[in-house]
Amino acid sequence: MRVSLNWIKKYVDLPKNLTAKQIAYDLTLRTVEVEDVIDTSLKYHDIVVGQIKEIKNHPNADKLKICMTDIGKGELVQIVCGGSNLYEGEYVVVSLPGSEVVWHGEGEPVKIKETKMRGVASYGMICGATEVYLDNFFPTKEETEIVDLKDIDCYPGQNIAELVYMNDTVFEIDNKSLTNRPDMWGHYGVARELAAIYDVPLKKIEEIKIDPKLPEYKVEIKEKEKCNRYVAIEIENVYEKESPMWMKALITNGGMRPINAIVDITNYVMLAVGQPTHAFDRTHVDGKKIIVRNAKKNEELLLLDNNTIALTEDDLVISDVNCALGLAGIRGGKKDSILPDTTGVLLEIANFTAGTIRKTGKRFDEKTDAAIRYEKNIDTKRVDLGISLTLKLFKELFPESQIVAYKDEYPIETKRIEIDVPQEFLNVRLGKVLERKTVEKVLTNLGYEVKYKDKVYHVIVPVWRSTGDVSIKDDVMGDIARLLSFESFEAKPLTISFEQAVRQNHILLERRLKEYLAYRCGFNEIYTYPWVDEKYIKASSIDTSNSISLACPPAPSLAILRNSLVPGMLKAIADNLRYYDSFRLFEMAQVFTKGNYHESSLDETLPIHTKMLTGCIVGKDPREIFLEIKGIIENMARYCQMEDITLEVKEKPSWADINAYLNILYDDNIIGSLGLVSFGTMVNAKIKRTNVACFELNVDALVPYNSRTNEFKHLPQVPLVEKDLAILVDEDVLWSDISKLLKSKVKELEFIEEYHGNQIPDGKKSITFRVKLGSGDKTMTSEEIIKEIDKILKTLNKMCGAILREE
Amino acid sequence: MEKKLDEILKQGLEKITNSKTVEELQSIKKELIGKKSSLNEVLKSLGQMDSEARKNIGKKATDIRNIFNEKTLEKENEIIASKSVLDKPLDITLPGKKVMNGSLHPVTQMCYDLNDAFLSLGFEVFSEDDISSEKYAFDNLNFAKDHPARQMMDTYWIKGTEDKESNERLCLRPHLTGASVRYLLKHGAPARFVYPGRVYRNENVDSGHERAFFQYEALIVDKNISFSSGMVMIKTILEKVFGREVKVRMREGFFPFTEPGYEIDMECLVCNGKGCKVCKHNGWIEVMPGGVIHPNVLKAASLDPEVWTGFYINIGLERLVMMRYGVDDIRLFHSADLRFLKQFK
Repeated sequence: MRVSLNWIKKYVDLPKNLTAKQIAYDLTLRTVEVEDVIDTSLKYHDIVVGQIKEIKNHPNADKLKICMTDIGKGELVQIVCGGSNLYEGEYVVVSLPGSEVVWHGEGEPVKIKETKMRGVASYGMICGATEVYLDNFFPTKEETEIVDLKDIDCYPGQNIAELVYMNDTVFEIDNKSLTNRPDMWGHYGVARELAAIYDVPLKKIEEIKIDPKLPEYKVEIKEKEKCNRYVAIEIENVYEKESPMWMKALITNGGMRPINAIVDITNYVMLAVGQPTHAFDRTHVDGKKIIVRNAKKNEELLLLDNNTIALTEDDLVISDVNCALGLAGIRGGKKDSILPDTTGVLLEIANFTAGTIRKTGKRFDEKTDAAIRYEKNIDTKRVDLGISLTLKLFKELFPESQIVAYKDEYPIETKRIEIDVPQEFLNVRLGKVLERKTVEKVLTNLGYEVKYKDKVYHVIVPVWRSTGDVSIKDDVMGDIARLLSFESFEAKPLTISFEQAVRQNHILLERRLKEYLAYRCGFNEIYTYPWVDEKYIKASSIDTSNSISLACPPAPSLAILRNSLVPGMLKAIADNLRYYDSFRLFEMAQVFTKGNYHESSLDETLPIHTKMLTGCIVGKDPREIFLEIKGIIENMARYCQMEDITLEVKEKPSWADINAYLNILYDDNIIGSLGLVSFGTMVNAKIKRTNVACFELNVDALVPYNSRTNEFKHLPQVPLVEKDLAILVDEDVLWSDISKLLKSKVKELEFIEEYHGNQIPDGKKSITFRVKLGSGDKTMTSEEIIKEIDKILKTLNKMCGAILREE
Repeated sequence: MEKKLDEILKQGLEKITNSKTVEELQSIKKELIGKKSSLNEVLKSLGQMDSEARKNIGKKATDIRNIFNEKTLEKENEIIASKSVLDKPLDITLPGKKVMNGSLHPVTQMCYDLNDAFLSLGFEVFSEDDISSEKYAFDNLNFAKDHPARQMMDTYWIKGTEDKESNERLCLRPHLTGASVRYLLKHGAPARFVYPGRVYRNENVDSGHERAFFQYEALIVDKNISFSSGMVMIKTILEKVFGREVKVRMREGFFPFTEPGYEIDMECLVCNGKGCKVCKHNGWIEVMPGGVIHPNVLKAASLDPEVWTGFYINIGLERLVMMRYGVDDIRLFHSADLRFLKQFK
């Protein structure tokens, strides 16, 4: 919303020497957020009134004239102009060098320089209205028309901002910060806040009452819950004309466009006191009767452009005896326009309830200024302010006008809310003991009535805040706190109670998992969206029959919510392959599947959420990265202090290679898997010229230790004997077979390498490993060592045909 | 004889000085003070001298032996000190070897920094599900029935539930506050906890707006606490994050679930409040909303608002990260782009 400082000053005398910036700051801190402060005169700098003294023909152009112009500097200046309505003696608008204009009213502003036009020097430019932000003040018919200031009191050299009352400051207020403040949707409301902030009086809007003896205009409200008050005033001897310059300026700075004096009065009243008002041409109201009713089935509203809108039976309409004239509080139809032949109007100053307006308004993209205000829930008393101001303006702009009929239909009056606010409540919640005087002054300045009795403030909320904004004692406390400024309250430190230490094992486990992968295993953590491109879901062949989807997804291909983190990981890999050829990524996040889960209570049924952890290693050598990722999972439990997980081949994950995968088990249940990403998946995910090893693991299924559990082992008294052995075995002999055989025979067993190469016959492989031997209490003799090694080799030879290659 | 001794000393010192290795030095030492050395011969011949000469020459010869001992030790230390383990020259300007270059996401890092700070104040860490019902996302939080955020265009509703109501209408959570009610229902009061999590809004994406982003909520419920207690907490947290004193201000703000509600601004760290591009020339940057929990929300959590009160703050984690590092595009956080992520090692 735009607020004009000149307008505010009509209602409150602000302290002297107060800058606009300071006002904006104080409003922001205490009431509503001011997003911008605009000096409206700036764009008119170096734009002045000029008088054309002499017109000469241009030697090189038929359409251009040379105007000798008085700009108040004594000497005349020469300006070349192509305007179609030039005449000698004409008062015009001149942009001097240094000013900025919008050429033909389009595009970015351009700086005016002294220049030559077709060979003739021109000192500035004689302007059309749209070129110098004057279209709100001087309506033009033709594009080539320049502004003719005839009939306007002005003099050469006068600054245009002064002429059109644009020496003003506009505060741009964030509408969001006004959602709960229906009283702030007009300048009078903002003035009231400023009066309270600076503790200065707010001027009253002069009350004008209508002669009760006037004939009655017929008004019937059929839906009293939707329309709490409807005032109809019939006025004659008014007609379509332009508003005075000062009014055009205020309406402009309030963010609207001046139309004609009648419409401008209604808009002015709305911008001033926040009360929407409406003027019908009185001849358009058939039967001289207003009916406020719900729309009928299949009823339509005819618009000014001859289009129609279909109405529903919920919509509230303003109707005459024949048909709907407009949608109540939202927009008018064709029949309610003010036309050149208008001689009398029927004014509507009414109260419609917020719910009604919001429900109907939802169907239209653009919200009208009236609808925005009604939606905030306006009190019925404001109609009185509307009447007073409207009648004052009609008298001023149309002195010959006459009120001929009138009706105030007022079925429901807004009641002022009354609240008891205990003094002790304020002291505790504000953390500060406030004097009774302070509390009473702050509240009174805001329009509250306050009675103090037995340590309780009994407050009567002002009617303009009684429509939902202030309803409980906390609201009153909030008003006091903000008006005194939050800054004036001393910050009080929190007390810490030492009842128990915070201990959250699973949350700590999640952190250890992430830190293990990042800091010990060299992974980079990523976050991806929960909606995944179908392309990657298909690539990973993941079954989505148990997936859930979005009703209104970011894009049609992004409707499915992930049930696995793998597809998102595939996309991240494909994206990063443009810049890196080997890397490691991981992500921890929830995935979703259909199901019935009750987080809080049985009455709330949610889908199944599972926190998953996935990671990948991207690299050239598939054997290498497979073993690397396997090592990372094998060591995870120990490093992250959780119960052990085991690896076993049980069930191939859809994305994995047929020969290189393992399932991750806890307590015999599959809780994840690891493996090489299959060729097909990589092709479909457009992952080229590399290999990927991937794991996915259910974090919720992991069980953290309550504390570190590994037990201390005594250091050996006698050193163990270390021996490296290389054996030759058939290709199909597995390391797990070998290690099973040796486990009981040695103290420690360590795999060193597997080798296929020149010296190794086809169908065979060499395996090198290290054994540690020892009895514990005495050093082994060399005979004992030889005997032990021999035993090991014999067992290996017998069970899997191993032959010693080298020792 | 004295001349001979002077000659022995001079030659001996020369040899010690010129020796190159520890081994050479050892053999020189043997040669100088060993049994077969000329010095030893002088000492052996002492018996044949008169007592006066024996005394003088004997003393001088012993001194020379001491000098040789001392000097060889000195020289040995010198040789060891100048000895390198390298057999070939090493270019020490070569770059050092790479270390493991994994990293936590900058949002995670910020979250952990905050967790550590809050844990020291006795807060628990709470975590909850991404999908919520309208009841917890809106109804309990005092959102009006026809609040725009409830509409299709603002929140990601789950297909098949979008036309239902309250408990049965599900969405990707638009904020974290809803689940705070669940925490309170489960744990009761008093309570103090933080709640990091990702939230979702149906928005048009640009450098300042995202559809998925991280929030960090901190909430206290207790008896008789004042709204101004929040200020200390806020300052503590921001100072922890930015590592220096931060000026904050609270100003009027409106949220359905607070009364009073406030916006918390911090002085722009780029220009120290003078006004710059980052703070849009007003010297302050909006960092988080906060406020006293609305009585209706406490009621939804089955707590009596006459007994309990509380306040909450809600921090946008990306915004803090952006300010800490000067990141200017929020879309990078969900890009999984390693060129971005590797900068936060």
